[in-house]
Amino acid sequence: MIAPPEDGRLRLTILGGYLGSGKTTWLRHQLYEGAFGKAHILINEAAETPVDDTLLASQSAGVTMLSGGCACCTGKDDLVIALQALCDAHSRHKSEDRQTAQIVLETSGLADPAAILDAIQQDSVLVHHIRVAEIIVLVDAMNAEEQLRTEHLGRAQIEAADRIILTKVDTVPDAGLATVVATVRHLNPAARIEAAVKGEPFALPDLPAVPPYDLPRISDGGEPIQPTKIDIPDDVDWATFSIWLSALIYARGDDLVRVKGVFDTPAGPLLLQAVRKSVQPPELLPPEAAQRQNQIVFIGRGYKGDDLRRSLDYFTRG
Amino acid sequence: MCNACGFPTRPGHWTDAGVDNAGERLRLQIRRAQILNRLLNGYGFKARPPGHGPGFALSSFSGRTTLLPDLEAVWQDAAQQLGHPIDPLDPRFTTAAEPNS
Repeated sequence: MIAPPEDGRLRLTILGGYLGSGKTTWLRHQLYEGAFGKAHILINEAAETPVDDTLLASQSAGVTMLSGGCACCTGKDDLVIALQALCDAHSRHKSEDRQTAQIVLETSGLADPAAILDAIQQDSVLVHHIRVAEIIVLVDAMNAEEQLRTEHLGRAQIEAADRIILTKVDTVPDAGLATVVATVRHLNPAARIEAAVKGEPFALPDLPAVPPYDLPRISDGGEPIQPTKIDIPDDVDWATFSIWLSALIYARGDDLVRVKGVFDTPAGPLLLQAVRKSVQPPELLPPEAAQRQNQIVFIGRGYKGDDLRRSLDYFTRG
Repeated sequence: MCNACGFPTRPGHWTDAGVDNAGERLRLQIRRAQILNRLLNGYGFKARPPGHGPGFALSSFSGRTTLLPDLEAVWQDAAQQLGHPIDPLDPRFTTAAEPNS
């Protein structure tokens, strides 16, 4: 992905993943390696067992525990208050310190990262002060099959990710790992897939091409999601596209789990990103991104990919 | 919000990205109202720029005109009046043309 220019906003990395997927282990190692610099760490524990902070405190700029419930639902207010306090502190830093400041939020295993993203977008202070740099989701390769078969949340977490890290991969034979990778890729074709063992990067071996798990329908999840890549024709301008996309997201946001792409506008190439009904403020990209412009990926369920093209065509031609 | 031009409509509203000066903003607003009506007409609604500031004036089949701050509010208001959201993937919009891409 093309890195957007620095805009003075605090970068926030959301680290999600199902219960026991190894989030703290992975983050601890990343902090030790300096991957997030001196980031401030926010830890959300749905079950009030605040032990993670002691593991992480030594490698970070500070640790804030949010143990008043899951930050995507009951603990949302606590998260917003904690983030606002960090923004407040950030605005008092010297400008050279601001460039490197960042936050890593380790969510509880019960959190849907998309709901957290939504909480940030909805807050009139945070939307101006925080830029969500990446949503990283950890997937326990050993237990992925059972979780994905039965838990809608496990699927929702994967669907919301920019980067997926398979953990505990050393405990799974290649054939099983291949199926996990195929399933994860099926659920979120746009995300980068990596692997780790006890927090350390692990190069995925050459895996056989296998079909994904045959995931059953879950009452609150629905059919598996499908990716649709649309090359936007030259005659579709930003006015048309933004009206059409905003209507689509309003009407179909629950089914449209991810929209991502670059659209050329009079102001320059814009990076568009949405997770369900939450659209991130578009980032203006450097002009060299123009070569990737006007190609948008829609990932969702409950519609035909060709209908997206037909509908956009209808509004373009009037 | 700027008192003179009324922009931005709301902090971070994504559809207001993509223009970087007041002239383009005005052109975008007028053009958007045209496109918006392609979606709204079939449902008995009509949108126009409110004449001052951002957003849209939405007139409905009931004779009511409402000033709305942004597109999201338009979809919300229309959905409330119709009892369902206006869906760009409704067959009336997807059966009219073959995709060309």
